[in-house]
Amino acid sequence: MRIRIDLNGREVEADTVPHRSLASFLRNELGLTGTKLSCEVGECGSCTVLLDGRPVTSCLVPVAQADGRSVQTIEGLGINTQMHPLQEAFVGQNAVQCGFCIPGMIMAAKALLDRKPDASSEDVRLILSGNLCRCTGYQKIVEAVVIAAREVQRNG
Amino acid sequence: MADAVAVTSQIRKRKSVGQPLPQIDSAEKVKGLTQYLQDLSVPGMLYGAIVRSAIPHGLIREIDTSRAERLSGVRAVITARDCPGVLFGPQEPQDWEILCRNKVRYIGDEVAAVAAISPDVAKEAAALVRVEYQELPAVYDPFEALKPGAPVLWEQHPDNVAYRFHIERGDLEAGFARADDVFEHDFYTGRFYHGQMEPMGCIVQYHADGGYTIWTPTHLPFRSRMTYSKGLGVSMDKIRIVVPPFGGSFGMKYELNINCIAALLSKKSRRPVKIFFEREEDIGAGHPRMGLHFHYRLGVTRDGRFVAKEARVVGTGGARTFWTPPVLSTACYRIDSLYHFQNVRTEGFLVYTNQSPATCFRGFGNAEALTALETFIDEIGERTGIDPVELRRMNGVKAGDVSLHGWRIASCGLRECLDRAESVSGFRNRKPPPKIPPRRGVVRGIGLAAGHHISGNRIIINEYDGASAQVRLGFDGQVAVIVGEPDIGQGMNTVFAQIAAEVLDVDPASVRSLPIDTLVSPHGVGTLGSRGTTVAGRAVQLAAEDARTKLVSLAAELLGVPPQEIRLQSGSAVVASGGGSLSMAELGREYATRYGGAFLIGHGHFTPPTEIPDATKYGNLSTSYVFGTHVAEVEVDTETGATRVVRYWALHDSGTIINPSTATGQVHGGVAQGIASALLEEVLVKDGRVTNPNFLDYRIPGFQDIPEMYVEFVETKDPYGPFGAKSIGESSLNPTAAAVCNAIYNAVGVRVHQTPVTPERLWKLLETARTEARKKE
Repeated sequence: MRIRIDLNGREVEADTVPHRSLASFLRNELGLTGTKLSCEVGECGSCTVLLDGRPVTSCLVPVAQADGRSVQTIEGLGINTQMHPLQEAFVGQNAVQCGFCIPGMIMAAKALLDRKPDASSEDVRLILSGNLCRCTGYQKIVEAVVIAAREVQRNG
Repeated sequence: MADAVAVTSQIRKRKSVGQPLPQIDSAEKVKGLTQYLQDLSVPGMLYGAIVRSAIPHGLIREIDTSRAERLSGVRAVITARDCPGVLFGPQEPQDWEILCRNKVRYIGDEVAAVAAISPDVAKEAAALVRVEYQELPAVYDPFEALKPGAPVLWEQHPDNVAYRFHIERGDLEAGFARADDVFEHDFYTGRFYHGQMEPMGCIVQYHADGGYTIWTPTHLPFRSRMTYSKGLGVSMDKIRIVVPPFGGSFGMKYELNINCIAALLSKKSRRPVKIFFEREEDIGAGHPRMGLHFHYRLGVTRDGRFVAKEARVVGTGGARTFWTPPVLSTACYRIDSLYHFQNVRTEGFLVYTNQSPATCFRGFGNAEALTALETFIDEIGERTGIDPVELRRMNGVKAGDVSLHGWRIASCGLRECLDRAESVSGFRNRKPPPKIPPRRGVVRGIGLAAGHHISGNRIIINEYDGASAQVRLGFDGQVAVIVGEPDIGQGMNTVFAQIAAEVLDVDPASVRSLPIDTLVSPHGVGTLGSRGTTVAGRAVQLAAEDARTKLVSLAAELLGVPPQEIRLQSGSAVVASGGGSLSMAELGREYATRYGGAFLIGHGHFTPPTEIPDATKYGNLSTSYVFGTHVAEVEVDTETGATRVVRYWALHDSGTIINPSTATGQVHGGVAQGIASALLEEVLVKDGRVTNPNFLDYRIPGFQDIPEMYVEFVETKDPYGPFGAKSIGESSLNPTAAAVCNAIYNAVGVRVHQTPVTPERLWKLLETARTEARKKE
């Protein structure tokens, strides 16, 4: 089938098979490998992207469901060399170790801050609980998201 | 002590070492630009899939690959007939076959493999391979496997013992005779999966000269070539290993047979082949931390001195030998360098069973041994009435000590960690545990455990220990660190950048680390045994010092002053008394102009003060030793047995901390994995089949399971590592499970003897204790 999505603010049209997952479509057909696959059962959040602004585990979303909608991936965050406040804070706080979960983590955090720009550390721990990380023990991720929240609020 | 003074006086001047800098490669990672193995492909690449044994134990009668071969899109199908047929492997006994020849030994054993144009076709083809077996009785429990008449996995090992460890020092009987009390303790640590976010995988390309290029994230690119070289029947120099960024490993990705399977598929298809596991294969047929049974007998004098320790350690190794023999050895005797037991005897058995082969996991057996021992010491404290922290102080090693087995402890902050842990956590003022577990309600408890680890291990490669490095100046003035030890995600490249930047006084954020490729990288023993910062980092420091000498002499010549007049300062070489300076870029270009376009390169190598142990296993094994103390506070729901860690304190002596931010991150991650091993995670095997091979059923901890932690470093001065740095990667995990178990005891008054302490297990213990108490009434 032919699908059309607004991908990171750009119109994309492609032929694909409808049952293919959105994650696989992004990675294998569009070459956007920033979205990672880890558990493939929707439990770890590594493949989180925003579908019409809401976080979804793209390993479980058939690409047909994204037709005519907007998809935001890690590649769409920040402009050129400039980083999104979340990306800056993740770097600054060393919330990144191996980094494999981080694109999904940041996309989930972006959805949180879009909805709740004054997110507290308790909010982060609760709302990001669908995203798993094996390296960091989460503490620096919580700190980074809270710092980014402050930054986002300061800049309106 | 002259060293210590020199180090202290340097601290005030340090610009890079000791700074909480961001990891140098994290900007790529947060932008999703880092290309992990999952993201890599090579032109013409095929996809491999493995045909795995569906039964736990049996003889292979027939393999029919014809239907798979006929499937459109299939380019190669291989069985044992395509393999050189030699037994090989990373450790003794060598018992790997690339594909099973006559016999399968676990559900998941590799029987055949296919390469096809897509992962889906490869999977479909693998399902078309028909294997006929003659099933044999299987054995899963190591104690059953040790009994006479048990099913035998390997005829060369009729007792199912893959590896036996024995150590004896002092006079055990005399030690027990001196003891006023003798205590016994049993503990079992369960089968625990690495849960690294990126599953295992590799890409392998066959070359016309008979060699292979392997792209795989491995801790030991150089050493693993020995294993693959033997298995594939090609010389080591024909195997080139390129290391992409790691999506986590924690010990899983040391050396893997899939590299050999992909190699033979590539050889047969003449195309590069990628094998990349889905999660189910990674857990179900993967190589977790083995289950370990500990039995301890400890003799203690009235005033709390340990005088004799007898131990028996049994490991459930699975059907083949990965890195389990040294894990078992470590579990048997590394704790003898934390406490002076004075007289010891330990027997260890690594047992073949019909499960997937286990391998090493961060902590390398020592985390498990400490879980067993530190819960034991807590109990001995309770039963003797001697404060368990005091027991640790009294028997613990000190700087300058030589352990029973000849391990030389050059620096030791154990007592400082114990003291600080007690005071920051309030452990000293803890309430006693309840006599009878409460019937309902949530109760709190607090527990403490100490731990230690090595920083580098002598016998990873028999012939030598150490590391080499180069520090290279580019024409643009950029400094590159070139080593043979891969960054496994923990931030080692950043630590190396800070070390080089400190020596050369350049901006550490501008220092790059070159990727590892065995064809061009300097040789490295590997990133394992907590040796990266200490051993390889010291080589980087020495290489940077060599580069500094070369830079200074070049600058002196160009500026017409004696070398002692030149200072490296903020990215330039300047004349100390004023009057001239040269930038790093100018020096780099000038060097090239003089020497045929050559880069200025500093070379460094470090040979640590380690020894090959003698026949009795006596000899200093590690460059330096690290220590720590953890305190956990838990909440136990007495009705359900559910336990949560609510507060946590971790105190560590890791020598000088090169980067407090990344070091703290190591502690956070180590503790999280330790909590997981203590409370949550276990690979469940029923009749040889893993029953929880996915993240739905195998739950790794999330944000809600891990508390906020307090981390503090007690900096001792070690003479060997760079700027006095020691390791943190593994010691951060080691005391965790014991601290949690001791906290559970403090909360409910019931001792646990098995991890993970699942709600069901704890509830049964609570019920038993409550029932017994009722009977007494």
